[in-house]
Amino acid sequence: MNPAAMPPPESSRHLMPLVERAIVAHRQGAIETAERLCLDVLELAPDRPGALTVLYQIRKDQGNHTAAEALIRRIVALDPNNFAATNEFALMLLDKGAIQEAEIHARNAVRIAPQNPQAHNLMGMILTEAQRPQIGEYHYRKVLELSGARDPILLANLAWNLKNQGRMEEGRALYQESVAAAPDIRQTLLGWARLEEADRKFDAAAEILDRMDRQWPNDPGVLLSRAVLLGRVKRYDEALAVLDELAKQASDGQLGPNELAEKGRLLDQMGRYDDAFLAFAEGKRLARELSGHQYLDAAADNLIGRLGNFFTAGRLHTLPRATIRSDVAQPIFVLGFPRSGTTLMEQTLSAHPRIVAGDELPLINDITGLMPRMLNSPLGYPEALAELWMGDQREGLDNLRDYYLQKVGQMSILTQEAAWFTDKMPLNETHLGLIALLFPEAPLIHVIRHPLDIMVSALSNHFTHGFFCASALETAAGHYVRVMDLVQKYRSEMALRYLPVRYEDMVTDQEATVRSVLEFIGEPFDPRCLQFHENQRYARTASYAQVTERLYDRSRFRYRHYRKHLEPVIPILRSHIERLDYTVE
Amino acid sequence: MGQNSPARDVVAPPDEARLTRPDGQPPQRAAEMMVPVPMAELFTIAAQQERAGKLEEADRLLNHILAVAPNQPDTLHMSGIVAFRLGRQEEALAKMEQAIAHGVDIALYLRNICEVYRTLNRLDDAVAAARRAAELAPSDPLCLHNLAVIHYERAEIDESIACAERALMMNPDLAGAHFARAEGLLIKGDLERGWEEYEWRFRIADATRMMPPTDKPQWDGKAFADGTLLLVADQGFGDVIQFCRYIPWVRERCPDVAIACSAEMVPVLRQFLPKDKIFLRWETRPPFKAFCPLSGLPRLHGTRVDNVPVQTPYLRADPARVAIWADRLRRLAPSSHRRIGIVWAGRPTHNNDRRRSAKLSDFAPLAALPGVALVSLQKGPSMDQAGRYFGRAPLINIGAEVRDYDDTMALLECLDLVVTVDTSVGHLAAAMGKPVWILLATSPDWRWLLNREDSPWYPTVRLFRQTVPRQWSDVFKNVATLLADPATVLRATEGSGFRNHTGSR
Repeated sequence: MNPAAMPPPESSRHLMPLVERAIVAHRQGAIETAERLCLDVLELAPDRPGALTVLYQIRKDQGNHTAAEALIRRIVALDPNNFAATNEFALMLLDKGAIQEAEIHARNAVRIAPQNPQAHNLMGMILTEAQRPQIGEYHYRKVLELSGARDPILLANLAWNLKNQGRMEEGRALYQESVAAAPDIRQTLLGWARLEEADRKFDAAAEILDRMDRQWPNDPGVLLSRAVLLGRVKRYDEALAVLDELAKQASDGQLGPNELAEKGRLLDQMGRYDDAFLAFAEGKRLARELSGHQYLDAAADNLIGRLGNFFTAGRLHTLPRATIRSDVAQPIFVLGFPRSGTTLMEQTLSAHPRIVAGDELPLINDITGLMPRMLNSPLGYPEALAELWMGDQREGLDNLRDYYLQKVGQMSILTQEAAWFTDKMPLNETHLGLIALLFPEAPLIHVIRHPLDIMVSALSNHFTHGFFCASALETAAGHYVRVMDLVQKYRSEMALRYLPVRYEDMVTDQEATVRSVLEFIGEPFDPRCLQFHENQRYARTASYAQVTERLYDRSRFRYRHYRKHLEPVIPILRSHIERLDYTVE
Repeated sequence: MGQNSPARDVVAPPDEARLTRPDGQPPQRAAEMMVPVPMAELFTIAAQQERAGKLEEADRLLNHILAVAPNQPDTLHMSGIVAFRLGRQEEALAKMEQAIAHGVDIALYLRNICEVYRTLNRLDDAVAAARRAAELAPSDPLCLHNLAVIHYERAEIDESIACAERALMMNPDLAGAHFARAEGLLIKGDLERGWEEYEWRFRIADATRMMPPTDKPQWDGKAFADGTLLLVADQGFGDVIQFCRYIPWVRERCPDVAIACSAEMVPVLRQFLPKDKIFLRWETRPPFKAFCPLSGLPRLHGTRVDNVPVQTPYLRADPARVAIWADRLRRLAPSSHRRIGIVWAGRPTHNNDRRRSAKLSDFAPLAALPGVALVSLQKGPSMDQAGRYFGRAPLINIGAEVRDYDDTMALLECLDLVVTVDTSVGHLAAAMGKPVWILLATSPDWRWLLNREDSPWYPTVRLFRQTVPRQWSDVFKNVATLLADPATVLRATEGSGFRNHTGSR
């Protein structure tokens, strides 16, 4: 829609009475009348905000999310200063998982109403989800300051935020305060139970769930949390029984995608691999159906093709590199496909006194978006790097590097002793060329794992990285091949400080592997790195439960249990399996 | 320049004399012909296409004939040649074997199948075919020349020389046989006789011309002071690096020396001659009184195994560049690790590349060693193997950033050791007096001689030889074993070897 192409609002002023009637009808519950009136008005004047707003409410209540989104999007586009609509739209995008776009509108909400607590609450929620909990915390605390009150829900939001930062004690205290003020808020209690579970306080988590059970018997959220908790204490049969109970509660007798994934994981732990596969596959199907997420094949192909074409040895000879900052801790990039063992690597490294965990930092991806603006280029990423040839952009990479380091500084992850911090954003290897230009000295630790094991993990988790490639097994395999081919291209065209580390070696030859990684980084060996499961740090990604356990051999070559189910992706992955010196058994 | 290839001829097409079109012009493309064409005519066209390098078209036509006459020996043979040139070696072999099975004994088929067997490393079959060809055509010196080449590849040097000499008895002007004899003599260490035969290299039919024709004489080694002696940096980069050591000896005899070379060699030759004496284009060369190929200097010098001029280092890196690369490597390679420079492949167009080149994956035993960083100096198309490396030792693909031999020399200054197949980087490191381990085929280039671990050309070189043709595994295992042995490190340190890591870094 192009607002400029619309007739001026005055031209449809005569329709105002109809809009007012629609508003009244909607308020009185005469939905059909309200809907008809809105459609009549919008037929003649598609830009009447009142009619758009009423129709948006109707479509939202009808569960027609696509239409509702289109309408609220139009309202915001027509009036970027409409705070209520902006707030509504940002929340809708957050629910949908479109975090990046949600952030744009949340930031706009703060611009429209900088003293409005809800604007900051929005930023708090979205940035917490966007893996920038430190910034989110700032906005939550701004809400506290602006509102002058300690709203229990806000406290619970902040507690969840702190839990995501691994600040369990502070989070727990806030949950306690929130629950003391408002004891019956379901979401608060669920969040608290999850904090306790993540903090390995299983009894405390069970106690909260027991309390919820009494108040909300058979609540789906409570049942799922219960199943997860039972799974963590290895009471798999009971956990499965809880999920069965959960299915009975559902109107269609079916579990949702997350519940199915959990069920699959439980069955996997019990050695019932065929049943586990069925649960995983059904979970994937449902997730696709409900979210509408499909692998963005063309977009992935386009970007990866352009990256491969841009980063050639000849061109790299002519491009500058960012200089090295000696005044701040430096990044260690832990690269790898989602679920390849990057969390294990980060936990291991961050047990070292000179290395802190940065977790999945979204900053490299942010820079790819900001680059055209920061380099003042009419081109997109990566072609915008051509600006570095201009006399006034020779320091362009330093600016991009500083943006990254400044954001890291804001995240409060660095300590006084830290010489390094990790960035383990999965698939950052897609941007290996850019990373090497920004941080020419940064160690690049690429965690390699049997591709079929990665596929098993992709099957059992609903990650969104990599253009939603994990929405189906075949697309996950296809994206894996694309990215690994691109990495191969980077490595053959560039001199990188790159070390491939096999996940399997981490499991079977832990000390030698950890020693070699630390040597590569240039830090002395520290035995604490072998006791990573005692690392109190909370890993906020899907692997958090695994990395609190000792290394176990069972995680190697899990694919063998799913061999027949993985048959469709073996031809896609075969050449890479061989290239990595793995076999298919 | 490496070994010459066995002679290969294309068979004369059957009934060639009758194959002319009414207009007297041979058809150029089958598509031009609107009427059915006799098979013999098609064959002629296919042979023309093969000679013209239009292999896809030749392939198509030959397959068309074979669809009708699948056992026609000449067509099978020709189709095998085309498949071979298209890189389809197994198919080539099958077709040639079929041609031999269906044909009467034809020496030409056997001569050509030799090359296919040789390419596929089936040296027993190759020698058997070459012998049979020689039996069938006892008066054909080309068959004996072929046999000489195969014997050389099998490291049967005496047999190789004997065959070349028999061929020369039949045809004293057979340049290829002279060259085969030269290589045999040189690798045996009989340099004096070898150099004389080596002069035939420029007369081999398909040899690259060293320079445009000239009426000036080739230098005879006698001193003169009244004109310019033009040296020509002929042959590969390794040869230039090896033979540029003679330039000071030349200048003692002819003070005014200029050299014609390719641009890549300037960083090397600049260390012997002022820049205005180095010419990159033939048109810009100065007037000269006589010329001499660089590779001809050992003969004029009278070099024997016991009097090779060795004043290493005779090449040095630019200190400013060394500082840059030392800093770059410091950023990329763990400081605690020994830095081993590696090169796994030579120029793919080199005659002997199949034998001399390895794969990066062959370096696996080195990659498994703790405390080692592999610094790849590989250039060219094989560089892409760096992207497929997943060994334990870090691999720094510094070759991607190297622009010229100045960069390479500076990098070599920053390494503890170079392990390379027989490439110019090995020569460069050796000329700089750096420890370098060169990995050789069973029948290497003549300059590495036979059955010795050292080289009279370069005191810091250590040679590792294959024991089974084209099998690198034992060679790399040996290298890794030695590298893992602390005593090896000590020995090297005493000479010009490993750097001490406890010091300045």
